[in-house]
Amino acid sequence: MDYDLGADAVELRKRLRDLISTHIPEGFLGACTDDPKDLATTESFCKLLASDGLLALAWPKEHGGGGGSVWQQTVLREEMWAHHEPRGAQYMGVNWVGPALMRYGTPEQKARHLSAISAGEVIWCQGFSEPEAGTDLASLRTRAIPDGDGWRVTGQKVWTSYAQMASWCVLAACTDPNAPKPKRLSLFLVPMDRPGITVRPIRSMLGPHHLNEVFLDGVEVFADEVLGEVGDGWRVMREALAFERVGIARYARCESLLDRMQNELGDDWDRLPESIRARWVRALIDLRVARLLAYRAVSLQDDPSAGPAASAARIATTTCDQQVAELLFDVLGPSALDSGTSARLHGAIEDHWRYAQAATVASGTIEVQRMLVARETLGDHG
Amino acid sequence: MNTALPEDITEFGAVAAKRFTRFGGPQAALQAETDEHLRHQARVALADLGALDLDVRSAEDDLLAAAVLCQAAGAAALPYPIVEELLAIDGARLALVNPEAPRIDHGDLAGDWIAADLDGTRYRVQPSSRTGAKLGPFLVPATLTEPDGTVPAADVDVHLTLGSWRILGAVQQALEITRQHVTARMQFGKPLSEFQAVRFTIADAAVAVRGLHELAKYTISRTGSTAAQVCSADALILRLKAADTARQVLRTAHQLLGALGFCDESDVSILDRHTQPLIRLPVSSEMLALRLIPGVRGGQLETLFSEPVAAEPV
Repeated sequence: MDYDLGADAVELRKRLRDLISTHIPEGFLGACTDDPKDLATTESFCKLLASDGLLALAWPKEHGGGGGSVWQQTVLREEMWAHHEPRGAQYMGVNWVGPALMRYGTPEQKARHLSAISAGEVIWCQGFSEPEAGTDLASLRTRAIPDGDGWRVTGQKVWTSYAQMASWCVLAACTDPNAPKPKRLSLFLVPMDRPGITVRPIRSMLGPHHLNEVFLDGVEVFADEVLGEVGDGWRVMREALAFERVGIARYARCESLLDRMQNELGDDWDRLPESIRARWVRALIDLRVARLLAYRAVSLQDDPSAGPAASAARIATTTCDQQVAELLFDVLGPSALDSGTSARLHGAIEDHWRYAQAATVASGTIEVQRMLVARETLGDHG
Repeated sequence: MNTALPEDITEFGAVAAKRFTRFGGPQAALQAETDEHLRHQARVALADLGALDLDVRSAEDDLLAAAVLCQAAGAAALPYPIVEELLAIDGARLALVNPEAPRIDHGDLAGDWIAADLDGTRYRVQPSSRTGAKLGPFLVPATLTEPDGTVPAADVDVHLTLGSWRILGAVQQALEITRQHVTARMQFGKPLSEFQAVRFTIADAAVAVRGLHELAKYTISRTGSTAAQVCSADALILRLKAADTARQVLRTAHQLLGALGFCDESDVSILDRHTQPLIRLPVSSEMLALRLIPGVRGGQLETLFSEPVAAEPV
């Protein structure tokens, strides 16, 4: 038993921190801000990572990846999230669209998409959630009606992150409403500039680009754009999302923010109320536990228990996100609500608090994660 | 990275669990409250396992074996001060105490005792007799002498760590009993486990127990291999988390078992009452958190971003 990430992972962490300190401006808070320069920063940083084989680190080299170990991938996930995800919207393509293409894609689909993703040249969005089908995705209503050799898709998607900036979408639609629920859906790889697609941004507390509505009005899709088999979308979707089991390394952002805030406070940290400092201790302990649960989930890889282990890790890390957000707001006191570059840590704490509200909702709600953990613990399928 | 315990250690833990089941599990611990003989039999069970020969101070594998032994002992509420005996100094069992209110679990057992506080200050002790308490039935008030030197910080760390493994075993067993109960107990025409509120409560407890298990493995794997101050912080962190997890999981167990959970015929009642000394002593988890505060800026409370702590000169 050892918890050594390995020399190559340690070296990678140092390399990534050097790259970030050199190429990411101070105060960078991710791609989804009002400042278009931030989006440009992520685009150029992705290309830089791609040129070093770091963008698609875990991918096989034949698809433009770095052939890295799962622990190198873990370090990459930690360092990127800790530094406000300078890959921007790319992580979706790299983390699950690409791996799903490798498993289910046709040779033509692989040739068309994989090298573009690993080179950081393309942004993908995920057209799954609908106004009446969020967590219960198998019930979605967007219809794909046969038309010639393909289909015409009509419906509405919602909460679609990065839809404005994405050039491609993995679109889920119902191809057979009379089939049993698991066989109703199909997945399509659709360019976002295809006629009939309209994107409307949704103003939200998370900031621009996070949430959008996507309207589909008779959008033409073709047989060679189906990912996997027709009617097999639900299974592909579930298995594809399992590539992203461990999810975002939220604990790393929290540890980073606490570290930055502590450094900024200097000796003033010792003058914080004792109750705050004790909460700080507990937050660091909970973050350590969340990190260890994530490492456990990673180490299980293809073991059948990996799914519930990842759910446990996600419950721990998403609740830490909110715990740390509240702690840091209490540390800041009256200046907690200040935002923008003049705020403490260039607004990173205010940004974190807003984003943390979505932690237990996005990418599978905490209720779904609890259901999965309960199912395993109770040994049933209720 | 390999987050799994070595196979031989896991096997030893399973053998220990079987032996403690043969001893009688928590119900034997209940009987031991009134039958002195049973605590001697508990020691026989430990001797059968070779547990009393484990060298937890210098043999890495022995420390791991002691950890899973303590986990099994915690699950069975084994009525014996195994941690105190494994860390005996010159034949005297080592108890961790709060000098302001010294209490020693099983302090009435024959044999010599010494005590240390969390700072490592050593005391000679004069245990008195049991008080018939419901919570911590083997707990004995003690009188301390004036400070009498120190014990190594590593002994305090291992004491806290192995005690946390006992807590881990107790909460894992409490969760298992709760699982069995909610799947078997019918209310409103269906098992309790089909109510979503129950399922979510079980899930939260399961995540807490999983987290404690991972932290316990991580801590024991690093014991003695990091800077001394980091090792001490690790031990405090584990004990704090163990105590907090125990409070959450035992509360969950009581709530879901209903009135049955308060009855000694349920192992939950015994696990809860007998584990209280480990949860509350030598100090509360709130006090442990306060002790850890200097470790935040000092870097002893390690994170992905803390600077490495230099080893203290010997």
